[in-house]
Amino acid sequence: MSNPAGLVSAVTYRDPKAALAWLEAAFGFELTFLIEGEDASVAHAEMSHGASRLMVGGEWSPAHASPASMGGKVTQTVHIYIDSDVDAHCRRAAEAGAEILQAPETQFYGARTYRCRDLEGHLWTVSADVEVVSMDEMEARSGLKITVGKP
Amino acid sequence: MSSRILVSLRIAAPPEVVFDAFVDDIALWWRPNTLFSFTPRSPGVMAFENRRLVERLPSGKVFEVGAVSVWERGERLVFGWRQAAFAPDMNTEVEVRFDAVGDETRVTVEHRGWDSVPGPHVARHGFPNTVFLARHGEWWRDLLAGLAARTNSVHLGAGDKGRS
Repeated sequence: MSNPAGLVSAVTYRDPKAALAWLEAAFGFELTFLIEGEDASVAHAEMSHGASRLMVGGEWSPAHASPASMGGKVTQTVHIYIDSDVDAHCRRAAEAGAEILQAPETQFYGARTYRCRDLEGHLWTVSADVEVVSMDEMEARSGLKITVGKP
Repeated sequence: MSSRILVSLRIAAPPEVVFDAFVDDIALWWRPNTLFSFTPRSPGVMAFENRRLVERLPSGKVFEVGAVSVWERGERLVFGWRQAAFAPDMNTEVEVRFDAVGDETRVTVEHRGWDSVPGPHVARHGFPNTVFLARHGEWWRDLLAGLAARTNSVHLGAGDKGRS
């Protein structure tokens, strides 16, 4: 299969098989590709969410570690965009065992978001647009000066 | 017997439509792969007939890829999968599930049993096990993409195109 230009995150877990089941239960991701070796270990796994893909792997080299092996530290987080109810998504994740770090709240820029920690410590932000907010209104609400397109 | 390939794809049609396209139109959506051909004389034309998956070769001979063990329309299909070069004790199996998800069907192919084919066997082309499985899995992705294109064609009312 050819891969169009784009980005895919590969997320590392101590137990990738458990992670695949958890990510489906908590976030509704669908397993789309799985290669298991003769010892039934995960050699390669991909999940889908909307038009996006996520790879899930084990600690396959000394440079790859789960937060569970790093005292809970993460060096990057993944944001999930949904077009459905954020509060319902949060309840589902919590029922699957997610630790809710920030309950759903509507942000000044018009998105409703929550943040959670997964079974091995990865941090996830879930977001849905709930309101169209003009730049002037964002600046008024936040007190920030917002510049678009120029650093 | 643990090695396995799993590939899944959403197709925008009901499970019965996708199932029918899988079994009735396999000659139209199949995409032969020269690395994993069933016989030295492949490719031929794929068909499900008499509860078997077969490849009708250009020579006129018919190669049986495998017998169908489960045929549950719109739900599940299981069939054997062997290459001509397999020894009698080498067998792999393909299970296809058709799960309704809203207005769509999630088609999942699970291909298992590759541990019955030893590492040095010609079918593996010298690849390490997981590399071989990944290459084969990529082929299944191509095949499901072909099935999706065919199913969409049928579902949109152009189903007679391509039939002989």
